[in-house]
This record gives sequence, C-alpha cells and structure tokens, in this order.
Amino acid sequence: MSQSNRIPGGRCVDYGSEINFRFNGRSLKGYKGDTLASALLANEIKIVGRSFKYGRPRGVMSAGSEEPNAILQLGANPASQVPNVRATQQQIFNGLTSRTTNGWPSVDFDVMSLVGLVAGKLMPPGFYYKTLMFPQFLWHTYERIVRRGAGIGIAPTEPDPDRYDKINRHCDLLIIGAGPAGLAAALIASKTSARVILLDEHDEAGGTLLYSNDIIEGLPGIDWVKQITAELNAAANVDLLTRTTAVGYHDQNFIVAHERRTDHLADVAPAGFARQRVHRIRARHVILATGAHERPLVFANNDVPGCMQASAVSAYINGYGVRPGKRLVLMTTNDNAYEAAFDWIESGGESAVVVDIRTSVNSELLKRAATAGIRTLTGSAVFEVKGKRQVKAALVCGLDAERNALIGNDETIPADIIASSGGWSPVVHLSCHTGIKPDWREDIAAFVPGATNQKMLTAGAVSGDFSLSAALRQGASAAATILADCGFDLEDKATTSCQEHTVGMFQPCFHIPHRKPTSRSPAQFVDYQLDVTAAAIELATREGFESIEHVKRYTALGFGTDQGKISNVNGIAIAARSTGRSISETGTTMFRPNYTPVSFGAMAGRDVDELFQPKRYTAMQPWHEQAGALFEDVGQWKRPWYYPQTGESLQDAINRECLAVRSGVGILDASTLGKIDIQGPDAREFLNRIYTNAWMKLGIGKCRYGLMCGEDGMIMDDGVTACLADNHFVMTTTTGGAARVLEWLELWHQTEWPELEVYFNTVTDHWATATLSGPGSRALLAELTDLDLDPTNFPFMDWREAMVADIPARVFRISFTGELSYEINVNANYGLTLWRRLIEVGEKHNLTPYGTETMHALRAEKGFIIVGQDTDGSVTPEDIGMEWAIARRKQFSFIGRRGMAREDCQRQQRKQLVGLLPVNGDVVLPEGSQIVFDKPHQLPAKMVGHVTSSYYSAVLGRSFALALIQGGLGRMDETVQVSIGPDTWETAEITASVFYDPKGEQQHVQ
Amino acid sequence: MSNNSYAIMEQQPSIKGLANTPLVNVVRGAIPGPNAVGIEEHDDVGHLVLRGDATLLASAVTEVLDLAFPDQPLSSCSRDKTCIRWISPDEWLVTVPGTETSSVESSLRDAIVGHVAIVNVSGGQTIVHLTGKHASDVLMKSTSYDVHELNFPTGKVITTTLAQAQVIIRRLDTDQFELVIRRSFADYIWSWLRDAATEFGVNG
Repeated sequence: MSQSNRIPGGRCVDYGSEINFRFNGRSLKGYKGDTLASALLANEIKIVGRSFKYGRPRGVMSAGSEEPNAILQLGANPASQVPNVRATQQQIFNGLTSRTTNGWPSVDFDVMSLVGLVAGKLMPPGFYYKTLMFPQFLWHTYERIVRRGAGIGIAPTEPDPDRYDKINRHCDLLIIGAGPAGLAAALIASKTSARVILLDEHDEAGGTLLYSNDIIEGLPGIDWVKQITAELNAAANVDLLTRTTAVGYHDQNFIVAHERRTDHLADVAPAGFARQRVHRIRARHVILATGAHERPLVFANNDVPGCMQASAVSAYINGYGVRPGKRLVLMTTNDNAYEAAFDWIESGGESAVVVDIRTSVNSELLKRAATAGIRTLTGSAVFEVKGKRQVKAALVCGLDAERNALIGNDETIPADIIASSGGWSPVVHLSCHTGIKPDWREDIAAFVPGATNQKMLTAGAVSGDFSLSAALRQGASAAATILADCGFDLEDKATTSCQEHTVGMFQPCFHIPHRKPTSRSPAQFVDYQLDVTAAAIELATREGFESIEHVKRYTALGFGTDQGKISNVNGIAIAARSTGRSISETGTTMFRPNYTPVSFGAMAGRDVDELFQPKRYTAMQPWHEQAGALFEDVGQWKRPWYYPQTGESLQDAINRECLAVRSGVGILDASTLGKIDIQGPDAREFLNRIYTNAWMKLGIGKCRYGLMCGEDGMIMDDGVTACLADNHFVMTTTTGGAARVLEWLELWHQTEWPELEVYFNTVTDHWATATLSGPGSRALLAELTDLDLDPTNFPFMDWREAMVADIPARVFRISFTGELSYEINVNANYGLTLWRRLIEVGEKHNLTPYGTETMHALRAEKGFIIVGQDTDGSVTPEDIGMEWAIARRKQFSFIGRRGMAREDCQRQQRKQLVGLLPVNGDVVLPEGSQIVFDKPHQLPAKMVGHVTSSYYSAVLGRSFALALIQGGLGRMDETVQVSIGPDTWETAEITASVFYDPKGEQQHVQ
Repeated sequence: MSNNSYAIMEQQPSIKGLANTPLVNVVRGAIPGPNAVGIEEHDDVGHLVLRGDATLLASAVTEVLDLAFPDQPLSSCSRDKTCIRWISPDEWLVTVPGTETSSVESSLRDAIVGHVAIVNVSGGQTIVHLTGKHASDVLMKSTSYDVHELNFPTGKVITTTLAQAQVIIRRLDTDQFELVIRRSFADYIWSWLRDAATEFGVNG
C-alpha cells in the first residue's frame, strides 16, 4: 500500500507535490521535502541495507548525518553513481534511483546473513587475520569471496557528467549549525555590520526546532525559525547556507564546508550548474553550534529493523509526517525522550509504552503520560528484541540498582518500533579536528569540546547544556562576546524567551544487561555500520587491547563512514567497564576530517579536464595548430614536437626536418626559453658570481653562454646571456628552469648580496622568439631586414637591434644546432606576424618548420647538453668536459666553486659525459639504458653508467647517443655493453660527445 | 635609442595592424544567463614595470605621467588610460596607451636619478575586465584573497593567484575588476573565467 505510514502535519513536506522515485527497482511515491529515509519509512520499507559483516537486515536508525544503516547507492546510470549517500540527508526528487549497497543476491535474501546466522559467534574481531591467513597463499582466493559479500557501494564506471565548484569565503563570524543556538547567534550578529556566515547541513535551518513542540517568543518553534530565517536572508551581511556541512576544521579558523547544491533536484545537475561546492572559509571567529546526537542504548538484537533513536521518531512524525509504525516501545534514561511517545500517541499511534531505566521519575511527567494513555514502566529495560526482519516485540524486565543484572520476570510487549535514548552526545567532532581532545563530563555522561586555542566558542547542546533556553542564551551571548571583541556596536542585546521544560535527573546508562553473559547473549550492537558488538569490545580488551585506539583498530569501532557518531561513547563506556577504568581514563579516539563523506568531484572542483592544469602557449600557437604540429609538454608549455606531413612517421618527419636544417634552413619557435631582464650598476658583478664563467669583459652587443651551478658544484641551468648596455643584460634559461632561476637570483640577491644594485624581472612572456637555423638562414633573413648580416659586422655570438619584417627586433646570432642561426626576438604581440612573414618569404628558400624533437637530435649531434636530461643534479661542469666554462680566477668567488672542489667531485672514476656509437648503426639505444663494461656472466652486474640522450642522425646516417659513464673521458674508443631489454645487449663504442662538425665551422660560417 | 647604461627600444612597428593579443586563439561569445558576467579584453596597452625605492621614483613618475604616485602599498592612481599600481614592496606596474610606451620609458629613464629598473613587458601580459553583479563571485571561485569590498575597495591592487596562474587584480568599482594576466597563461585564465561564470552567463 502506498505511503501507509503517512500522516498529516509534517512540517518539512509539501503534501501537494507528489514525487516518484525508485528504490531497489520498485517505484515509490513520496512528497517534496521528504528525505529518502522518510519516504522509505512512509512506504513501510523496513530493510534499507544488510550489515557489513554479518549481512543482518538493517533499518533507518536516525534522521540526520549520524545515520549508520541507511547508506544507499544513488544514480540512474553508470556515470551518475554516487555511493555512501545517507538516506536521511538526501531529499527525493522525481526520478531518483536508489538501491541498497550490501546484500547479495538481494537485500531481502542475503547469502551473507546465513553466514551471519551461524557465524555470528564464529566471526569475532580479527576473524580474517586469525582464520584466512592460513595457508597464506590462499588469501587471494579468500579475498575474492570476502570482497563479493562486503563493501559499501560502487564507484561510477563512466566519467562524471557533473561540474563541481570551489569558492573562498571570509567572514568575521562563522556559525556552524542553524539550530536554536546558531539562529540566536546569527540574529544578534545580523544587526551589526559584521560579516556573518551561518551554515547548516540540513535542507533547511531550524535544527531540533523542525521536529520539537517548543514555543519561542510565544510562537511555535517552527514559526520562529521561519521568521528569523527570513530576517537573516534579508540581511546583507549574513550568508545563510543550507545543505552545507562543515566537514573539516583546520588551524587558524580555516573551515572547509561541503555544499550539495543540486543533489536534491536531479540525478545530474542542471546545465551550467555545479552539483556540489566546496567552501573554503577563513573566519576570524567561529561559533560551534553543532548540537548533539542522541545515543541509542545497547541491548540484544538492537539492530532489528524498527529499532531507532527516540528523537528520530519525533523527527519523522513532526518533520516529515511519517509515523513509522503502530506500536511503540520506548526505552529511556531521561525525560526528553518521552516527547517521542507523546508525539506517537498524538499522531494517532495505536499504543506507546515507555520503559524507563530510572526508578524515580518526575511525577508530573508520569501523570502526563498516564493522561495520554501511555503505559510507563520504571526501573526496567528492554533487554532483547524479538523479530528477525522487523521488530515484533520487546522483552522487558526489571533492573537491579546498579543496572548490572535483570531482576524479576520478563514481559513480552508487542511492538513494531523500539526507540531508545541513552542521552545525548554533543557533536564535538569539528572541535577535535584541530587536535583538541574532548573532555568527559560525568554529570551529563558525555564528551564536550576541550579547551581550544582557536578563536572559537560553543553554544547550545554541543556545550553540554541540552535545554532550549540555554541554547538561545548561549548563542546570543557567544555572538555578543565575539562582536564586542571585533569592535562592532551591538544595538540589540535582547534575549529570546522560550517555554522551559522541567528536566528530571538523567541516569547515565549505556549497555543493558541480558540473562546470558554478553558473549552468549544475542548480538548487542554498538557500531551498526561496521557490525561491532558489545561482546567484540569485551573480547578485544580480554585479548589485551586496552588502549581505546587499539580497541578501535582491532574491532573497527568508529571506522565506518559515519565515524561512529552514535556508537563511540557506548563503545568507550563498554571498554572502560571491561578494563575497570573510568570513561575519562579510557579517553576517546580522535575524530578527523571529513565529518561526512565528500565526493572526489567536489574535492577536484574545476581543476579537471582542460582546466586540470594551465597549458601555456606561445604567440605562434595558432600557426602551429594550422600547420598540424603535434605538441610536447615541456613543463606547462605546449611546444611543437614535430610537423608531420601526410603519411610520415615520427622518424620520417625528424629526418626530413633535421636534413633541412643541416642543408637548407629551418625555423623553430624558441619563445618558451626563460628570459630574465637584469638591470643595475652591479648586474655584471652579479652575473660573475651566479655563473661559473667570466662576465667582466663581455661588451655591449655581445652574447655569452653561461653555466649555472648550485652550491654543491652541480650544474643547475644554462643559457646565453647578452649584454644590452653597461648596466643591462638579458639572461636566457632553460624552458623548465625559468621560474626556478629567477627565484635563485632573487634568493642570492636578497639574502646574501643585498648590497649589489641590481633588479631582475621576467620577460619570458614578453619576447617571442623565432629561430632561423641552417646555412640558408642568412639569405632568408636578408630579405626581411635592413640589418648588415655580413659576418665580419655581425659575427657569431653577437646581437643587433634591427627591423625584421617591419617589426623592431633584437637578433641574436647564437646557435643550438651547430648551424648558422639567427634568433629573432620581438615583442610577443608581433610574434605571430613575424612568424607568418618568415614562413611566407621562406617558401622560396624551402624553409622548414621544426619542433623540439629535431632540435634535440641536432643539438645532440653537436654534443650540446640539455640540463635535466644529460645532467641530473649530480653532474659537475668537469664531468661533462666543460672545464673551459669555469673561471677560477674571479676576484669574488662564484656559486659552486667550493662544491666542485670537494674531494669526491675531483676523483678519477666519476661518471663523465661521452658519446656512444652503437656498433649496429640502425639501433637507437633507449634513453635511460644501463651500461656495463663487459657482458655480465651473472646478475646483478655492476652498472657503470646510462644513456642520457639517443637519436637517429639523418646527417650521419646512423644512430648515436650521449651517455654518462664512469671515467668515460679516459675510455675513448673502448666498447661497452648497453642493456636494452632482458638478456638483450647492444655493443657500443665510446667516442667524443661531438658527432657533427667538431670544429664548429658551420655555426661560425663566414 | 639606447644610452650606454640601459637599452631602451621602440618595440612597436610604425605600421598598424601587425599586433595580436594573447587572446587571439580563445573561444569567445556569449553564454546565456540571468546576470551575465562581462569578460572583456583591453588591449593596445603599454605595460612598464618599475623597480626601485619609492623615494627615487615618486616625484619623477608624477612629473612624467602627470599623475599622483600611490602613497600606500597595494594602492593605485589612475587617470584616463594611465595607471600606476603599487604591486610589491619595490615594484610598480605602470600602464599607458600602447603607442606611448617607449617614449614614457625614455622619459622616466631621463627623469629618474639613481638605481631603478624600468622594463617594458607589454607583450608579456594583457588586461581583462570582469564586470557585473557576479564578477566578485567569479573571483571568489578563483582566488583565496578576500575580495569583499570592505577588504578590497575600489582602487586597491593585489598580486595573487587566480586558479593556478598569477594575476594582478585591481578593483575599478563595486562590480568591476581589472585583471592583469600573463600572455602564456591567458588561454587558461580565459577558459577558467568562462567556466566559473557559466552559471551566471557570460558576455564576451
């Protein structure tokens, strides 16, 4: 029957808007405003899951984020799957598709439950470790079977269609929780100019007032909430965020909150909308008004569907218009829980019996119960539930004075809902995230937030005072204290009044005794989500796990996605009793972020797909794309890798591009090289100290190659620096090293040599660079410039200012290919025009664009290193045969000088850069291949080096490589063995590292 | 036009129409929405970075640009198309109409006595204006800096990160922001801003 548990009067649901949704393949109806849990209860769905370990049927336990059982899988298709959804926090929408996560083959018939039935006793904590480890080799077989039966939910198998979002917020006051305390605080703050954020995990503000019958300022609580909420929404200085859970509380009042923006609207977010949003909130002050979770009591079979928190009963009746059964038995340790029984009867429930463990109970309350027709039993407890798939009856019996044993005769009371209340646990989780242990308060039998060094106050139930008047008073006073501290004027200090209930003595109690010892009684569940029983905790302590942290890890208490919100205190109390200690001696485990699960999508935000990380482009990018270039990632840059023509392989293209440069003219986009503008009277002196070579005599119009080392004497970067004017240089760095080198220069300037007058500025993005290279480059450039290209007037390693293609340019005659080259630098706004003009005029010169792969092959033929490829941070200039770049006679030292003079840097058998010619010239050695001197007879063999760069050279007609080899410079013409695969060796000959034009006639060409 | 100490170069061709902005290759066009955010490039601007001591710079810069020099860190002074932004302890970003870039550079070099650096970075960055009721929301999605008007009033300038890139942000008005972004990151930032603004709509 449809919605047979539905009753009128639900405050959060719109009875006029029917919603159709699916659960385990069934079509069901609910109303707008229903949570999935309330809608399932309305439809008399008792079983919402099977337990993790024993496969026991489980039902809805609570109405909030503490829910351990109703953890469902959502999603209508493979891409929109969301696991780990608490049905108590998920509103229904038309088309919502949900299913239970455990239970195979189905939730109503679960194979694991048969195991649980017989094996409840056989699967104590540590079962898998104790049993399935032997024989060890069979574990993988066991695991497959175990995994099939367990696990909570499945991950989506297709890409997520939704977008997620992050946002940064700043405020004077962040109030976490919009219950009575939070609302009272926000109300005061809203009347100042303070910037206030109020957030709440529920679909609407109000907290317990949504479900209670309290009267505030003469209004029903829910009406007061609506009035205050309207005021707050109208206040420009307050942001009220619902469906937003503060999931992490970090140092300096940095709070991460997770907002579910469209999860209540549809399976997939509306177009353009982010489904969820992570708020990164930096708050000057925080008021923690997170309330408290009701603690159920621990008794035999307390997990049978139909067992729930007392407060949840009220929430479903008053909030959602759902009375989840007909006959209620309610066990309590306090006055507050009686409200559930009153709500039950007032909503037309057939019967309600209150079983109060206290012997002395407020007579007014008992009278009120009697008047309502509620039977009350004092000094008694429900010690066992009858029923397998749903509650059938409660077994009730008297308790002795210490509540350690049952006395008298059992009574069986028929029931379909058994609610229990063992008191309230303040939601201390967030306060613990910053490393603060909570304090145990014996008088209320609960942990409260410990003293914190954050600017944080607590208000309401989280502080351990559970009355409504205290919540309103503490909320207002916490806000007033903070606002005064921030210097805001308070206009209105008026307090909010409410009708006060008298609260009788609360009797701490956690675990109801059974006729049988705990280990023999039917299972008494503490942690529902991970199937941890009272017996398991007692066993753990008997086996020597006395620290609560060890008990947690041995039994898995509190390890579920619910983080043991309603189970921890009961578990700690049982461990304490069983080890003969007090609860405060036993202590608690730590709560860590996140308070409730956060989807990976929300954590990733917009940093996905195209925006995963920046792609940096040069000014010439549109042309490269049109020309069909393939791109290589160099740091974040996209550089043209090569320009394939129709039908060409990579090697075909590289051969063509290489030969074009060696015999004609090629063009390379060199814009990505790091460029640093250096100005100041001491610029030259600074260069002299930062580079290993000498800079004092470099004249205006000249360029020089520079080698940069770390303090350890190892090569860290290289590049050409040009003297623009006496006090003005421009340094080039490797593409990947640009930012690092600029920081390096600033570091030395700011910390060691602040007396040097020099400034550094990045101009990497400002200059676009087109490099013409090859014997034909002069003829081509001559067509586009008025510059005198005569080699006597513009020799190698000089630069000139000139007009190229009508654009002002700096032309550098430097070469990374070993051929005659001109690097043409223009303001990057003109880079694309320059490039297109060069291509256009270059057509008759057969100008060939080439990419990084050709550039690498050409430079390697010349033995030019690439820092980071041919060096790895353990290579000195001497190791690569560049002693010539070390100027030891500088007046002031240079960075790396002492490092490279260390004994180890001077020893004979260091790895040195050499050339390698494979005997078989068709074999290109894989870069990174390990090298040995002789083919080894047994492994492991002694490695003596590795291949750093390796290519096929079109101009040489054979393969070649660069390698770092022990003592390599003294081993010319010797052969080595290069490992290129399992038992596969290639013989190669050690040569000089310059393979082409060793005299440099090509680049110096006259 | 170099002297012996510093190289100053006229970098603009005399022929018009040869320039391409860093945003030549991006997707443009409106995304419909209720309160569309304007994302608009302002190009043909000369960008000069000044490094030095404020005492060396203030009077000379005021004289050359006929504009007050910012007297507070992170503040700016502007008139028409000329603006001075104090962006780090010893760093100012001056923007002028594109055609005046090198003449302003030369005039500054001549007017300033002492050790300063003046660097033309016009090709290396561009300016994007973010406008509309939700412009600040787009920034909140993109930077951890507090862009609320109480903390970030009109005229204030900050250098921070926008998503994973560097940016200089100046508030022009309640609902108007100027972003100075680097050329090589321009495509990324443009795509980011459009993506972050999608829920409001985009003009531009």
